[in-house]
Amino acid sequence: MEEKTPGYVYDLKAAPNRQVVAPKSVPLPGLKSFLAEQAAAVAAEAAKWAKTQADYETAKAKAEADGKDAPKPPVRPVAKPDTNDMKFPRPEPATDADLLYLQSVLGDQVTEAFQQAGEITCQVDKEAVLAALTLLHDDPALGYEMLADETATHYPVAQDFAFSVVYHLTSLRRRKRLRLRILVPEGFEPESAVPVYPTANWMEREIWDMFGIRFRNHPDLTRILCPEGWEGHALRKEYPTLGLGQRDIDFREDRSGVLMRLAMEKAGNLGINLTPPKAE
Amino acid sequence: MFKNEEMEINMGPQHPSTHGVLRLKLKLDGEVVTSCRPEIGYLHRGVEKICENKTFFQGQVWTDRMDYTSAVANNLGWAEAVEKLFGVTVPRRAQYVRTLLNEFNRISSHLLWLATHALDIGAMTVFLYAFREREAILDLFEAFCGARLTTTAFRIGGLREDLPPGFEKLARAFVARFPDCIDEYETLLTENRIWKKRTIGVGPLGAEDAIAMGVTGPVLRAAGVAYDIRKAFPYAAYAEMDFEVPTRPEADTYARYLVRMAELRQSHRIIQQCLDGLPEGPVMAKLPKVLKAEVNEIYHPTECPKGELGYYLVGEKGSANPYRFHVRGPSFINLQALPMMVKGSLVADVIATIGTLDVVLGEIDR
Amino acid sequence: MGMMNQPSALEHILITTKVEKIINWSRASSVWPMTFGLACCAIEMMAAGAARFDFDRFGSGIFRASPRQSDLMIVAGTVTYKMAPIIKQLYDQMPEPKWVIALGSCATAGGPFDSYHTIQGVDKVVPVDVYIPGCPPRPESLIYGFMKLQDKIMASSMSDRYREIFEAVG
Repeated sequence: MEEKTPGYVYDLKAAPNRQVVAPKSVPLPGLKSFLAEQAAAVAAEAAKWAKTQADYETAKAKAEADGKDAPKPPVRPVAKPDTNDMKFPRPEPATDADLLYLQSVLGDQVTEAFQQAGEITCQVDKEAVLAALTLLHDDPALGYEMLADETATHYPVAQDFAFSVVYHLTSLRRRKRLRLRILVPEGFEPESAVPVYPTANWMEREIWDMFGIRFRNHPDLTRILCPEGWEGHALRKEYPTLGLGQRDIDFREDRSGVLMRLAMEKAGNLGINLTPPKAE
Repeated sequence: MFKNEEMEINMGPQHPSTHGVLRLKLKLDGEVVTSCRPEIGYLHRGVEKICENKTFFQGQVWTDRMDYTSAVANNLGWAEAVEKLFGVTVPRRAQYVRTLLNEFNRISSHLLWLATHALDIGAMTVFLYAFREREAILDLFEAFCGARLTTTAFRIGGLREDLPPGFEKLARAFVARFPDCIDEYETLLTENRIWKKRTIGVGPLGAEDAIAMGVTGPVLRAAGVAYDIRKAFPYAAYAEMDFEVPTRPEADTYARYLVRMAELRQSHRIIQQCLDGLPEGPVMAKLPKVLKAEVNEIYHPTECPKGELGYYLVGEKGSANPYRFHVRGPSFINLQALPMMVKGSLVADVIATIGTLDVVLGEIDR
Repeated sequence: MGMMNQPSALEHILITTKVEKIINWSRASSVWPMTFGLACCAIEMMAAGAARFDFDRFGSGIFRASPRQSDLMIVAGTVTYKMAPIIKQLYDQMPEPKWVIALGSCATAGGPFDSYHTIQGVDKVVPVDVYIPGCPPRPESLIYGFMKLQDKIMASSMSDRYREIFEAVG
């Protein structure tokens, strides 16, 4: 038997679009972080303007001392208006009735509530997720009968949490949609939504398969997309897109076993005595 | 002397009627199904992971291949989702053309459903008739974007280019002869005794169960719930279109058949309105060459021929790639209801039920 | 042999040829494929079997559901890690002579899906006779590839198969 060719060696640095996607920031939209960022940007711009003015003053004083002409006074930069058809949606404070109702009922379990791009988002404490879902499902003023989607995102750079689990709820009667979000640290097991919304069964199985987040009281938490013995959780940011080498199978060496069996049979039928090659 | 046991058989990934690589573990008591467990993942290609490495522009290519029977609807959902993430306004002519192509796609997807569903139940003629009309629609897609099946039809901000000359003539020719074709299929099937015996009472899914299982699309509308995202949360040019949402109260396979045939007629109506009311103007919005996101997450639902197709996108500041790209596939959610629908029915009814759910494995497994 | 130079009455009603050519011709004219559509290319395979492109005129209109009754496995679509052992099992279940067409870019080389769960080409699992690239290939491409397979069958000789086996073994 010829010697086996070595298995593939993945050079993860060579092809950037095949490697591990290592994010540098935590893109978790939220009102508080947005306002903080805005304030910081305004302060930075003001500080920069003050510095430019101070520099101008010193340069002017120096020029007058030397007898030269005064330098040009600085002009405050005005942001150029965008001429394209794109206006980025920003988070706005919560004015929607449902968000205010949730805040009034759940109190301080609601850590964030805001509106962005025409959608309303409510972030609750991770312990309170089942209570929030039950409230959203059963309360007649809210009446979110259908869970449209449940999914998760991995934030490896974040400090206090590792994943965000997002529930998209639809109220068919009131024609309204709401997003419920919880932030989950590594190893925490949130309550399963299956008692309230049975459709969450496969959705949570997929989250377990792709992220490794277990759900408490889930009827059947097994892998759904990847096979049972799969190692690793695929959609985590440290899992390379090409995988860990599990896909490199080659049945061809097995194939010669089949052919050999066929050959032995044929040889036996023809009366030829073939000795099989020594097994390695 | 005789042992009465449940037989567990495998309706394996390779099966002519499972519409792809779906595996069903059936527990049978004779011929009656006592429980059914779908196993999926045989077509899991890692699209969500792949798209995290691709830019927002490039991601469209993989959306065609998820629900491959209705690629244009997938493309529309993705384009609208990215436009929502960035806050892009699309010109009106582009919206109309998108609606037009989306409705053609709805017709071609429903024709494929009719062809395969009828073929599974045994009506082979309908397969050939439906594919004849489908070929005409695929010619239209090919005239517009060069590909029959995996179209990549739209761009962020509108269309790549306007409708080609001669497209309208071709479209109107199809529109003129299509109602007769629907009548032809209905003549073959709707009052057919065998069809009715095979589909009435098969695979029932009531409204409460459907909503609890998150089922959307024609399956939900055949249970009596008039929920269509084109009317409830209008997108593209649907707010300006005049059409009805057909529903039936019976919630069995025959009702779903009638709902989808009625949807064919409604799509035909919308196409006529689009062709007649096509506004003039640009077809592409003004956008920067490189789309770098800000921090935002959106969920954009659209009405795919199979149900609610939702795109969940998270943008990272300064990145041209999506941070998270998730697709809420209607077939994935609808298939969850299958065990409930086939409990207590015969094996042949399982095949009819899979056909009526109209599942596409590419969307289930992504 | 002398009969070849003088036309006789018999030549008008007899054809003389080799047994091998007859067998190859009969095999190529009635290749029965197995229904093995995995993904999008399956839709184009169905369109090839439908009215406009009519695969049946090549004698291979009957798509057999069971591998035990088919000659040709058209792998149409993406091969994933979970599906690969099943493809191998189905290939083993097909009786000789059997051929495999890899339809589409996914079956040829993994297609656009270079990810953790996709096998890059079905030829890592079963030996392929004809590769048809395209995403998805038009039904005309499938018909062209099928005609190339027919040419291959016509040109093959019955001793080729067993020569391969004996060479691989000893």
